[in-house]
Amino acid sequence: MMDSPSYMLSKIAEKDNLTVYELFFGPNHPGMHGNFGYVLEMIGTEIVKVRPNAGHLHRGFEKLMEQKLWVQNIALVPRICVADPDPNEVAYCTAIEKILRVDIPDRAKFLRTITLEMSRLSSFLMGMGALAAAVGLYTAMNIMTADRDLILDLFEWLTGARVYHMFSIPGGVRNDLADGFVERLYKVLDHLEKRLIEYDKLLFENPIIHKRLKGLGYVSKEDAVKYGLTGPNLRASGNPYDVRVDDPYAAYPYLDVRVITQEGGDALTRAIQIRLEFEETINLIRRALKTMPEGEIRLNLGNLSALKVPKGEAYAKVESSKGEFGYYVVSDGGMKPYRVAVRGPSLPAGLLLAQKHLPKMKIDDVAAWMASLAICPPDIDK
Amino acid sequence: MKLDKESIIELLNQKGVEVLDLYPNQISVNIKKDNLLNHLVFLRSIGFDHLSFINAVDFIDEGEFELVYHVWSYTHKIHVLNKVRISRNNPVIPTIVNLWEQAQFYEQEIHEFFGIIFEGNKDLSPLFLENWVDIPPLRKDFDTKEFSVRLFGAEIRR
Amino acid sequence: MEDLKANDKRSYIDNLIDFFRKRSIWMLHYCTGCGAVELPPSMTSRWDIERFGIVPMATPRQADVLLVTGYVSLKTLKRIIKIYEQMPEPKWVLAFGSCTVNGGIYWDSYNTITNLAEYIPVDITVSGCMPRPEAVIDALQTLMEMIQSGEGGAYKKYKENYEYYKKNQDRVLRKTAPILGSSETESIYQEKEGNYET
Repeated sequence: MMDSPSYMLSKIAEKDNLTVYELFFGPNHPGMHGNFGYVLEMIGTEIVKVRPNAGHLHRGFEKLMEQKLWVQNIALVPRICVADPDPNEVAYCTAIEKILRVDIPDRAKFLRTITLEMSRLSSFLMGMGALAAAVGLYTAMNIMTADRDLILDLFEWLTGARVYHMFSIPGGVRNDLADGFVERLYKVLDHLEKRLIEYDKLLFENPIIHKRLKGLGYVSKEDAVKYGLTGPNLRASGNPYDVRVDDPYAAYPYLDVRVITQEGGDALTRAIQIRLEFEETINLIRRALKTMPEGEIRLNLGNLSALKVPKGEAYAKVESSKGEFGYYVVSDGGMKPYRVAVRGPSLPAGLLLAQKHLPKMKIDDVAAWMASLAICPPDIDK
Repeated sequence: MKLDKESIIELLNQKGVEVLDLYPNQISVNIKKDNLLNHLVFLRSIGFDHLSFINAVDFIDEGEFELVYHVWSYTHKIHVLNKVRISRNNPVIPTIVNLWEQAQFYEQEIHEFFGIIFEGNKDLSPLFLENWVDIPPLRKDFDTKEFSVRLFGAEIRR
Repeated sequence: MEDLKANDKRSYIDNLIDFFRKRSIWMLHYCTGCGAVELPPSMTSRWDIERFGIVPMATPRQADVLLVTGYVSLKTLKRIIKIYEQMPEPKWVLAFGSCTVNGGIYWDSYNTITNLAEYIPVDITVSGCMPRPEAVIDALQTLMEMIQSGEGGAYKKYKENYEYYKKNQDRVLRKTAPILGSSETESIYQEKEGNYET
């Protein structure tokens, strides 16, 4: 029925009597996280060349945001990253607040911080689960997915939605914590902390993951900065940089954020980096809950549907679980943004590092390599 | 050695570029197209080592594209928006791939969505869209609603 | 065993085959959009759809159900059609979320289709953005009932109305060229295209 001649495998050349063939790694591939693809040129099981095939998730966000009101875009922005949606909302709102030159109430900052860190926890659980599944440790993945649901339940209680929360709005947050939320959150954090012992046994002390990931996808300290890596990937190469400390937003100036760095820079170090940051995030939420002040949760900016942002531009960035999420917002003084440009954290790893690392790698390691760099296709494609 | 914002502004002023102090930790710089590479090389030499990303803005009324090179310094903790204006009729600008390799993909993306040509970039093949024959979609004169209605039969909601 | 009884339309054997068929639905592991993020919770211990005999399957050749989890961009649509045509019959399609019905929040996007049913036949659409795991399970159970009663036959429509679907697919996909294959195939595609308005 199809008039296209090519399917999964096609021979393209011969080299030293060996066949070079093309293999489509993704989008429909069990090792691929999300709808993304690499076209691999291979000899046997060894990759010789790679062509990233992005764009399966391209929805034209940057164009759509120009068509909608400032506040309508709140519904659109979290959809850029499914696994970790809250940094998008906060970055977008922070950029607007920068142009408006307003300072939001302290309690709103703390509420944003708490949702950001909860989102980070859920994203880390998903990332660790994906890594476990990529090396065949499905039990760890199952447990982590179940634990992630505890956080999603809390999100549902707080915001009404499991995945896309739309919690931050220009000027603050949508609603305050319900009675009993804090106690429940403490319980979940305690549970997750206990679970860490189990994760260690199942995943991080497992000889399989050590053998599979040791030395895979090495990034040196200088290269990590040069290639534009951010977040845990940068810190796993020994660079003590974190947007939460360097360019603080929300309530991070009031909190003591501990930056964890490791030397190493290979996939195993990155995996352990996520595990260490997971533990630190739990402590950070506890500290935030303890120091959270009472008070207003949002500024009165009038009718938000009629919000007009003065002429100007601002770049706001947020440390998401994968790295720097940035929003560059340009306003011409109207009801709609003139231009919103999004900086996703996965692009340097997903496109540039793929071309550096994948050649000479065996095909079995590609899925683990992707999971260790926490490549999230939607924010590459936008 | 960490420099504060004021001394960076002074350094840039000495180089003869126009600096705008936007927010704490954020400054904006207007540069000429011919000066772009020199300016970025200078920024990099004083410790601005992280290229966040590149984006373009279409100022259709003024007949110009504005390219914004977002550069962040891990040493000085300052974000610089380097803005270059180029003509909309002849959108050509030198590539910065030799400075930052990841710029390759940002330039490919901007070429695809705005039609801006990066001189010296060897591969400007489309990254996200397949066989796009229309005007580049992120230009202001491209009407996505109209396009969606005509091609996909979307219903206009009121 | 009451529902296995023969009636004037279906024989006992038909019912028996469908009874077993509905108890082992293999769904294709292809995350086309954001709805796929709710599939791991559905598949693991909390909701556990494996108790209905539903398991993920890596290749389209062994799969029974194609889950289109959310918005479909043009590039993805091409892959979906390719995958759908590779799947053996009987096969079913589940469309997730409002994006597959009328475009949802992306209705005015230049790169996402609005109504999936114009391009491949859809058996069930699940409401919500994004659908909760309960909704996913409800949809899969409805599908099981449809299989038992012999209703779930949208794939037959694809054969009967192939011209219609092909016309719609071509209309939007003429803009796309194959990623795989030599540059020769690409040029063949471009020749076929002709001018395209809009």
